[in-house]
Amino acid sequence: MNTIFPIAYVVWLGLWRRKDAYVLLILMGAMLLVLSSLNVFGLGGKVVYIADIGLVLTWLFSALLAVQIMARELPAEQSRGTIHVLLAKPVTRFALVLGKWLGAWAAVSVATLVFYGTVAVLVYARGGHLPGPATAQALGLHITALAIITAITLIFSTRMNHDAAAAISLILTGAAFLVIPRIPEFVTSETGFTAGVMLVLYHALPHFELFDLRQWIIHDFGMVAWPVYTQILLYGLAWITGCILVAWMTFRRRHFSRGDRML
Amino acid sequence: MSWVIETEKLGVSFQTRQGTVAALQDINLKVEPGQVFGFIGPNGAGKTTTMHVLLGFITPTTGSARLLGTDVRLPLARQHIGFLPEHPDTYRFLSGRELLQFTGRLFGIRGRDLRRRIDSMLEEVDMTATADRRISTYSRGMLQRICLAQALINDPDLVILDEPTGGLDPIGRQQIRAMIAGLRSRGKTVFFSSHELSEVELVCDSMAILVGGRVVVQGKLADVVKPGQRLESYFMDVVRSRAPAGATHA
Ligand SMILES: Nc1ncnc2c1ncn2[C@@H]1O[C@H](COP(=O)(O)OP(=O)(O)OP(=O)(O)O)[C@@H](O)[C@H]1O
Ligand SMILES: [Mg+2]
Repeated sequence: MNTIFPIAYVVWLGLWRRKDAYVLLILMGAMLLVLSSLNVFGLGGKVVYIADIGLVLTWLFSALLAVQIMARELPAEQSRGTIHVLLAKPVTRFALVLGKWLGAWAAVSVATLVFYGTVAVLVYARGGHLPGPATAQALGLHITALAIITAITLIFSTRMNHDAAAAISLILTGAAFLVIPRIPEFVTSETGFTAGVMLVLYHALPHFELFDLRQWIIHDFGMVAWPVYTQILLYGLAWITGCILVAWMTFRRRHFSRGDRML
Repeated sequence: MSWVIETEKLGVSFQTRQGTVAALQDINLKVEPGQVFGFIGPNGAGKTTTMHVLLGFITPTTGSARLLGTDVRLPLARQHIGFLPEHPDTYRFLSGRELLQFTGRLFGIRGRDLRRRIDSMLEEVDMTATADRRISTYSRGMLQRICLAQALINDPDLVILDEPTGGLDPIGRQQIRAMIAGLRSRGKTVFFSSHELSEVELVCDSMAILVGGRVVVQGKLADVVKPGQRLESYFMDVVRSRAPAGATHA
């Protein structure tokens, strides 16, 4: 178990040293540009809009980062051949999978914190403010959702190359965000096969809308009741655990001979 | 006798689009403690594949293997092992010293012990001066050396080296030979593959010749190669007599 943290730490160091932090800067720049040009679109730069759009962008960027960062880790171990150095140590496949996930998730979480900070600063600059406790709650669930996204990506990255794993994970995450919450509306108007497929999807994909407290921040609804909050966290934890176990099972039986380097 | 490496009827086949490739068949290797064991054979004979089975990267199709008495499928089997892969590569964004810190921690070595160990390893592979540079700035030989240092960080009882002198200059080769001799004098076991038969001759106590996925000769070097004969010419004879007529194997 004491191998998990060194592995996670190297993921983290790699992200910094390979200048991936620039991506974060570019995304922040994009966010600043969009938020400060709201005036131009006649929205008057109202604080509510800044917070709203800023948080939408934060969700979008953090999810993209989560998939991109996680999808690369295990495939890169194989294409570089470093997997052989790593697995020759008393490192279990489980520790490897868990360490990689932990490192990627920690990095994405820090990036998300930076995005929230950016939004908060911009809102303050326009004379508004983000409600502290509600924002903290929202951040907690947001980071939990990112843990699920990274864990789903981890599964695909155990058997696919970076691009394939990233593409599938993005499609699934996008579907879960955009389609799943609307399914109940569809299902009432559809019947038969389509409705069936929809229902299966509804239950098979994670409900990210539960983790999305943007409205609570923007409209200052106060805080989510703790029992509810805890239930959502537990739901997230179940997803994370399940995905990591599946990733471990698909990774456990993998062979690492030279042929795999060509993948 | 407790063997350091012991394989029993080990077989590995790979599924490829062209069908099944039998890379290893019926391998029975026995390596005694404290020996330097040379594992030689033509390209594609299965040396690397054998090592990969020993390290648990691939599970054998048939048979079994043990390292220091522990089944190779258990991570514990690798606690006292050092391994240098055929084409060593590592996290190039780390410095040499950081790489050794990382690998030391994987073995549970920490604090002052780890620092002392790292300094002595850097000394041994002659990398003290360049230890704090990023590995991405290293030459091929420097990379080989730092990978060797990380393989030895846990003071392993068994060291598995896949072509350890590949890519090294004559001085580097000489250093590797000295290091292997040093390991033996400390009672360690070294199992290594090489195409440099003159080198194998210099450092090995025992050896096995692998041809087409089968061990065709195994024993003490002195017993196998007659006095006055060079290992190279013996090897040539063995391989020629074993290779099936018209074989186009790589
Ligand atoms: N993943 C794989 N899929 C299919 N065949 C493989 C795979 N890995 C190895 N082989 C085959 O197994 C055989 C043994 O390969 P191996 O790399 O073990 O040889 P080697 O003795 O190390 O050769 P070299 O001296 O060139 O390093 C070769 O025929 C190789 O093509
Ligand atoms: Mg080889």
